Formats: sequence, structure tokens, C-alpha cells
Amino acid sequence: MTTTTTTASSPRSRRGRLLRWLRDLQPGADRLASRGSLRGLLLRRLRDGVIVLLFVVTVIFFLAHVVGNPALVFAPVDATDEHIAEIHRQFGLDRPVTERYWEYLVGLARLDFGESTWQNRPAIDAVTEALPSTIYLTVVGLGAAAVLGVIPGIVAGARARKPFDKASNLASVTALSVPNFWLGLLLILMFGVQLGWLPTSGRFETASIVMPAATLGIVHGGRIFQLVRSATFEEMSKPYVTVARSKGLTEWNILRRHVVRNTGVTTATIVGWEYVRMWGGAVFAIEYVFAWPGIGLLTIDAAHRQDFFVLQAAVIIAGAFVIFSNLLIDMGYQFIDRRITAT
Amino acid sequence: MSVAVAKRTGEGPAGTSQHRVWSRLIDMLGRRGWVLLALFLLLLVAASIVPDVFAPHDHEAQNLRARLLGPGESSPEGLHLLGTDSLGRDLFSRMVVGTRLTLFIAVAGTLIGAVVGVLFGLLGGYFGGRTDRLLMRLGEAQTAMPMFLVAILLLSLLGPSVLILLVVLPCLVWPIFARVVRAEALRLREETFIEASIATGCSTATILGRHLLPNVAPRILVLCVVEIGHVMLSEAGLSFLGVGVQPPDTTWGLLISEGRPLLAVAWWLTILPGVLLGITVLVLNLLGRYWEARSGAAG
Repeated sequence: MTTTTTTASSPRSRRGRLLRWLRDLQPGADRLASRGSLRGLLLRRLRDGVIVLLFVVTVIFFLAHVVGNPALVFAPVDATDEHIAEIHRQFGLDRPVTERYWEYLVGLARLDFGESTWQNRPAIDAVTEALPSTIYLTVVGLGAAAVLGVIPGIVAGARARKPFDKASNLASVTALSVPNFWLGLLLILMFGVQLGWLPTSGRFETASIVMPAATLGIVHGGRIFQLVRSATFEEMSKPYVTVARSKGLTEWNILRRHVVRNTGVTTATIVGWEYVRMWGGAVFAIEYVFAWPGIGLLTIDAAHRQDFFVLQAAVIIAGAFVIFSNLLIDMGYQFIDRRITAT
Repeated sequence: MSVAVAKRTGEGPAGTSQHRVWSRLIDMLGRRGWVLLALFLLLLVAASIVPDVFAPHDHEAQNLRARLLGPGESSPEGLHLLGTDSLGRDLFSRMVVGTRLTLFIAVAGTLIGAVVGVLFGLLGGYFGGRTDRLLMRLGEAQTAMPMFLVAILLLSLLGPSVLILLVVLPCLVWPIFARVVRAEALRLREETFIEASIATGCSTATILGRHLLPNVAPRILVLCVVEIGHVMLSEAGLSFLGVGVQPPDTTWGLLISEGRPLLAVAWWLTILPGVLLGITVLVLNLLGRYWEARSGAAG
């Protein structure tokens, strides 16, 4: 039995609509259709990424230097006006803003993010030390989210309106409504404090990853579940499933041989996007809860210590990483399914 | 990322089917389920207007001899329904008092974001072309960034306060409104009534304000209800991390944060405010989808 391919390009089919919708949402999709060379696309996306980063960097600079006063970071609480003027002279803050902005940009281009005021080393060192921990956590978390979201999503979508469907719907909605950091605390209370099974903080042993990754997995698995469930549900209502049923195929075989294969690309897309979403917030609060030594913990520590240079470096490097991984994920789809680019 | 935003707004086929997950839950609630949900919200609103009526104790009254009482235990002052904190303050009363600021920040933050988003969406959708590209690129740019980190940076730079929160939180939600309104405006501008208004010489402001806006209003309202919940979660997150609301002001997120060091000895201080927050967000979500399903605002 070969896989039944649906007519994804047909504008009438639901799946075709979904695919086109997915494609149209990608930044730069409009141009993608007409000029579809992979290298050109890569270059355009890189350019867009650089513009985005430049925009964020500029906003940060002007907030820090025009709205706020960077001298106050170094000045003691009881500093007099003369003190502050002296700090201005020392750090060259009395020069025109445009000149300082240019210098700042040149510094960033050389990956010079300034010195950490609290750790006494270049800010970039602190960030590059923390980044692998966050990447590790997000990747394991995404794995957990995929397992928690995709498998129940397929089962619930295939057996809609059955008790499992109802229960898992309720669970996913609850996972999306509770604060993610609170969920982490709940896990700590249950498995760390009460049962004493798992380490609750830091990254000292292999098992340390379990609880933060599980928290991340539950939160993001909830969303993956909802999307996979509806994709499966829609696929199950297609005529070819009826045909397969009338030929006497078991439900399990219909699901395994036809439905799951056809929803595969959509599922991969959903999971990929969820990875980018993770960097939007949840992972940082969860790192703080579990004292996981990543970007989130570093940023929050830096915020409490008013360490502006580390904060700035963390935001810019994390931003660059997200933009870059976003690009990689989109590139990945081009290879999984050529229909996404071909028009 | 733009995609993520679109998914939350329920735009496109995946969105409508995601909405199907919700409609299953709404079915479970039954026809009159919304009354319960609305009642819960009314109770919260009432608690934020007249907290004294609901709070059994003075929320700031310390009693060191009644420290860390568990839920249901009593002190000489009376019953502590949800227990007391490390200074002997009544948790239930503190949650009641925290309702006002929690709701205020969530509602005000959402509304400010909605105004910006609706304005940008209308302009982009109606005019199209360069304006549209610029505004949408801005939204995209923003959603491609780890905005939570940016929010922490801004709050740390400008000093955490309720006012700054009301600047930062709208930044997180406006692209969602802009996206939905833009899609509607794109569709509506082809309609004959818009053509007719142009023919009768209406000004652009009139067309946008009098003709387009009323047509997108139901969707905006539904979206507002749902987004209030999300903004509430963001505020709680920022306050939990210590860069949001500062003591002596109180929100539910801050209560969770205050209870965290005592998690092992007094679980209720952390868990119970989170339960209330979770239920509130769930109710807002359900009510929003309920309304959407009923009014057919989803289209």
C-alpha cells in the first residue's frame, strides 16, 4: 500500500489552504514565490535579520543614552552633580550622541559589548558561557514538548469526542493558562520537596535537566497538541480516509500509513515554530525557577545588579540566535517539502 | 515571529481548527456555562473595587505569633482561609487586595496595545503598499526578537514601575491586534460600501473610523478578552522575576514570587495565588472563545 498523496496545490483542498497559509506567513513569502532560488532567499532573510537586529540595537542605545543616563549606573547613590559630570568626562559621555552611537555600532560589529560591571570580564564572555545551557535546555524541552504534544495530538484527533480527546483537550488548555514559572514551582514541590526524586536547581548532574525540560515541555506541548490534534482531525475527515476504511483497513493502519504521513510536514512545521516561540519567554522564567545557568538566569541576575552591558549583550546575542535558528528552520522545510517553495 | 502571533489570533485554517479545541470545551460547559464564567469575573471586578468587603483581615496587619499558618487554620484574629505568610499576614486578604492592580495592569496594558494595534492594522490594511509593508515589518521584527528579554532590559534600564509596565506590556500585544485588524481591513476595503463611501466623498478618517472600525469591533473585543489573560501572565512573569510590580504594591504574580523562598515549608503561599491566576486566565480564554463562537465574530 503506497501513501496517498493529497493535492496540496489544489486551492480547494483544506490541506492546500493550510500549507499556503503556513507559507504565506513566513516573512518575505510574497517575494519567495516569484524569485525562489534558495541562495537568494537565504541572503534576503539574512539581510532582514540584520535590519531587525540593528533596529533593536538602536532602540536600546537611545533608551539607555537619551532617555536614561548611563552615568548613573556607575555613580554612587549619593553622588553630587560634579561627580556625575566627572563620570561623563571619563566615559566620554559628554560628546555628541551621534558620535557615540557610531562608536557603539562599530564596537558591536567587533563583538565588543563592553565590560560587565559585576563579573569583571567582557560581557560577551558571560553570555557565550550561558548560551549553550539555554540551547541545551530548549532542545531537550522541545523534544519533551514534541512527545507530549504530537502523540496525544494524533490520538485525540483520530478519536475525536472520545474520553481521551476530552481529557487531553482540558489538559492542554490548562497547561496554556497557568503561569509557566508557577508550573515549575509546582513540579519542584511535588518531585523535589515531597518525593525527593529529582534535583531542583542548578546544572550539576544529568538529572538536573529533567524538571526544567519537563516544565518547558508541558507548556509548549499544550500548544503543539492543539495544532496537531486539529491537523489530524481535518485529515481524518478527507475522502481518502473513507476509501481506506471501505477497503477494510484497520484504523491503526489508516492512521499510520496515510494520515500521519500526510500531516507530517505540518507537524514538523508546528514543532519548528514552537522552538522559536520558546525563545519568546517561557524558557527564561523557567531557568530562573530552576537556577539553570543559562541566558535567562544571567539576564535576570544582571537586571538585579544593574549590569547594563551584560543585559545588552544577552538580548543582542539571543536575538541573533533566534533570527538565525528561525532561518535554519525555514530552510529545513524547503528540503522536507519542495512544494513549499514551488509555485 | 509573525506565525506565532497569527496562531494566537486564530487567523487562518489552523487557527479556526485550534478554536475547535476550545469549542469542545465550550460544549462541555453547556449552554448556560458563560453565566458561571461571567459571574467569576464580576466577583473579581467587585473585589478590585471594594476589596474591604471581601478581605476578612487587614492585608498588611502582621502577627508574628500567627506566622505560616496553613490553609484553614485559625489565629486569635479568626479563621485564615488560605493561611498566613512569614509575617503572619492573611494570604486570602492579600490575594483580594492584589486583584485590583493585577486586573488594572492587564486591562490597561491590553487596551493600550489594542489601540496601537488597531490603528496600525487599519492604516496598513486600508492603504496597503508601502505603509502596510513598513508596519507589518515592524511587527514581524518585534515578534522575531526574544521580547521577554527585551522587556527585562527595558524595565531594568528605566526602573521597574507600573507606569513602565504599561509601556512594555502593550509592546508585547500590539502586533496581534494589528495582524487581525489588517486582515479584516484588507477584506473589507474591497466591499461596495467602502466604494460607496469614497464615491460620496467621505474623508479617509471617516471611512476608517465610521465604516471600517465598527465592522472589526466584535473581533477586537473578543481578542481583548483573550489577550487580557495573556498580558496578565506576562505581568506575573515579570513581577515574579523582580522587574515588574514592586512591593508594597501587590499582584498575584508578586505573591507567587514572595512565596517562592518558602516553597518547602509553606506551599500555599506559592501555589494558591498561581491557582487563582491560572483559573482567571482560563476563564478569560473560555469566555473569549465562547463569545466568538456565539457571535460568529470569527467569520
